[in-house]
Amino acid sequence: MTRALGLRDNATAQASAEAAPRSSFVLPLVAGLLVAGVLIYIQVADLDAIEARSLAFGELLVRLGEHVRLVIVSTLVVVALGVPLGILLSRPAAGPLQAPVLAVANAGQAIPSIGILVLLALLFDVGFAMAVISLVVYALLPVLRNTMVGLRHVDRSIIDAARGMGMGSRRILFTVELPLAVPVMLAGIRVALILNVGVATLATYTDAGGLGDLIERGIVFYRMPILLSGCLLTIALALLVDWLAGVAETRLRPRGL
Amino acid sequence: MPEQFHPGTGAQSDVEISLREVSKRYPGSDADAVRPLSIDIARGEFLVLVGPSGCGKTTTLRMINRLVEPSGGEIWVAGKNTAHVDPDELRRQIGYVIQQVGLLPHLSIGENVGLVPKMLDWSKERIRQRVDELLDLVGLDPDTYRSRYPKQLSGGQQQRVGVARALAADPPVMLMDEPFGAIDPITRGHLQDEFLKLQARIRKTIVFVTHDIDEALRLGDRIAIFDEDARLAQLDTPLAILTSPADEFVRSFIGDGAAIRRLSLLRVGDLPAVPETSTGTGIEVDPGETVSAVLEKILAAGLDSAVVRGRGSLTVRDMLLATAARDESAVVS
Repeated sequence: MTRALGLRDNATAQASAEAAPRSSFVLPLVAGLLVAGVLIYIQVADLDAIEARSLAFGELLVRLGEHVRLVIVSTLVVVALGVPLGILLSRPAAGPLQAPVLAVANAGQAIPSIGILVLLALLFDVGFAMAVISLVVYALLPVLRNTMVGLRHVDRSIIDAARGMGMGSRRILFTVELPLAVPVMLAGIRVALILNVGVATLATYTDAGGLGDLIERGIVFYRMPILLSGCLLTIALALLVDWLAGVAETRLRPRGL
Repeated sequence: MPEQFHPGTGAQSDVEISLREVSKRYPGSDADAVRPLSIDIARGEFLVLVGPSGCGKTTTLRMINRLVEPSGGEIWVAGKNTAHVDPDELRRQIGYVIQQVGLLPHLSIGENVGLVPKMLDWSKERIRQRVDELLDLVGLDPDTYRSRYPKQLSGGQQQRVGVARALAADPPVMLMDEPFGAIDPITRGHLQDEFLKLQARIRKTIVFVTHDIDEALRLGDRIAIFDEDARLAQLDTPLAILTSPADEFVRSFIGDGAAIRRLSLLRVGDLPAVPETSTGTGIEVDPGETVSAVLEKILAAGLDSAVVRGRGSLTVRDMLLATAARDESAVVS
């Protein structure tokens, strides 16, 4: 378990190391071209009534807004849960709890979101909150795991020196461990963000809207223009979010690291 | 608030650190990592703990600032039993330097040096002045290095910063765990020299751990040699250890060339010179110079003797024989 975790840790750490030179403009450029292509297509194509209604500019903005809101809210909840939980679990006193909590988080990611969505809808209700819950369950693991990994990989000798200077454990956590774990934690948050952009397309099944609405409508009504627009806009959003997250990762990384 | 810790106000004025039957046994082990050990360390003394790995020297050091809690015995620092002082409070009053340096990579050099003063709530201005003063003291130009980050510095420079950081709050005691161990031999030699000069000015009470007997002989006022079984084999001055090793272990740990190495520890002023009236024979040397330095001068000048100012003349033969035959009691280290 720990061994397998270690391997994945390395992959995450590597991903975060490669993030730095990624501030190129390829991703936003591709995203922009995709959006422009969709918009132009909608203007010039011969759309029937259903297509025209689904692809009206205002309608697209609403769906995009719903999608972005789902992603932002669920990512904030994931961070608010995952980071403190990761910190608590990395304290020596919580040692025995690590394995079971990670197992639960692993299970959360293993279960397909669509399953959770349907379960929640059957047991409780449909709507925005249910969509957020299923997104959070799915995206918690990378944030939780990277917080723990980031804290665990802080150079022991730095902590030893800090203790030797008379820093208490709380001060060490906030002035040494967390700042040094930030790059790995940010990489985890970025993964969670991207997962959420993708999984949020399923929110349409719990009546929470989003770009998934377009995809679903395209399938149900068998309208390729709607399906394609939904797909391409989702891809564009994912690319843009990934790029923004990469920029933020570089910016937020403490100087001197 | 736990009991306040005031350095330098101990009841016994000349003993700064007192180890009293201190021992450490780790749970699950059936041997002591540190056997019951008693050493008094005088104020301003430079004590080196030396021995092979696993001899308990680092554990002993780390028990002084309670990074490791002793299993038995007591440690007194500045007249206080450390068991009754809050550990963080205690550590802020004791400088701590380790081999890996342990600078915080996300803080600038200035911020690193100012860490302890900041914890002690010094004013910004006072911290700034102290940081510059310390960087100067360890030979780094404050204007150049203050706002750099640790990874921009070489290993030797980083350890200078490590020393500056340990000195920041002017602690009376410094604990140093192989501080020069990871530095290349040439830089290490420079750092040792500089550190000796620095110590001559600041007179801290230093406990220094190394596995390098040459470093120990060069730096220590006294040396404690431990063997693999954590037994204190000998505790004495470098000269006494070279002159009369306590046992076979110490002898083998010192290695070859003890007699030659003694030359750089003995001073010519301590050798019996032949009173001489005429000083026309050549070079004149100071009684404080080491025998090896004087020999070097004599041989380089192609002479066979020198005049020790105020004492008399010494020939090469005198020096070599007197050195070899010295008994410890006549030696002032």
